[in-house]
Amino acid sequence: MSPTVVATAEAETTRARAAERSIVAFCCRECAYAAADASANARTPLPPSVRLVLVPCSGRIGPLHLLSALAEGADGVMVAGCLEGQCHYLEGNFNAIDRVTFVQRLLESVGVEPERARMFTMSAGEPPKFVAAVHEMDRVVGALPPLQRSEACR
Amino acid sequence: MPLTDRGRTILERLPGAALASAGSTGCEIVRHEELCVGCGRCAASCPTGASSRGETFDVNQLLAAPAGSRRGELGAALRRLARHAASAPVAVPPRVSVYRTIVYDVGRCLGCGTCARACPAGAIEALPPQTTGADAREQTPTEAAR
Repeated sequence: MSPTVVATAEAETTRARAAERSIVAFCCRECAYAAADASANARTPLPPSVRLVLVPCSGRIGPLHLLSALAEGADGVMVAGCLEGQCHYLEGNFNAIDRVTFVQRLLESVGVEPERARMFTMSAGEPPKFVAAVHEMDRVVGALPPLQRSEACR
Repeated sequence: MPLTDRGRTILERLPGAALASAGSTGCEIVRHEELCVGCGRCAASCPTGASSRGETFDVNQLLAAPAGSRRGELGAALRRLARHAASAPVAVPPRVSVYRTIVYDVGRCLGCGTCARACPAGAIEALPPQTTGADAREQTPTEAAR
């Protein structure tokens, strides 16, 4: 097999894995979802793995949202909220930051990579920052081995 | 021995003092950690501060949560992901309030059972006081003297 064919095959596998991957992005309505909307209007391509979930505030997100998303098939979860101090509901994003940190510690203590849950903050006027965050998450999660789930406790 | 702090200081001041029936005054408190939701109502209602909210969370408490309980869904999700049991409790960030393991100090507990009544998850059981034969024998002369 020639090196070109191997390289093409590898590229195919990478692309297939990227399409199979799923990253759930919980986006705050006031900031991150507006940024996502603006980036979509500008026709900026997002990784095929990302699934956007609209939430009224990142402070709505609790450990159950993040862990059940991971348990039911997501490879990574990200929470995108407002910049620190700019939450529409005053301190929802501070709560979200601490909850995501807590979920990371939970995952780490049971042997799962903590990078699978991450918090990003951005303002509504920063679509490039949102796109960069999604690409960053996709790259980090893509580099990790597939997430093992036990079927017994379904 | 279930005694108040005040009672304990009085006993320490008196040489050779002992409270005959102290061992049998309170209920026996049994905590079921896997059912606990960390709401802290036991800590709020406790008259002696025997129960209090800690700074850490024991992950195995969540892994052991039974299906029908309030944390059953979260426990099931974590069990699906878990590769091994947690070896040590995790530190909890300041804004996370309910995921904290309650610290229960038996030495300060009166056995009054207030926490069992306050618990919304039914995680605390107050069993009736166990009066042993020895206690009963000690009590009888005191009562006869009265």
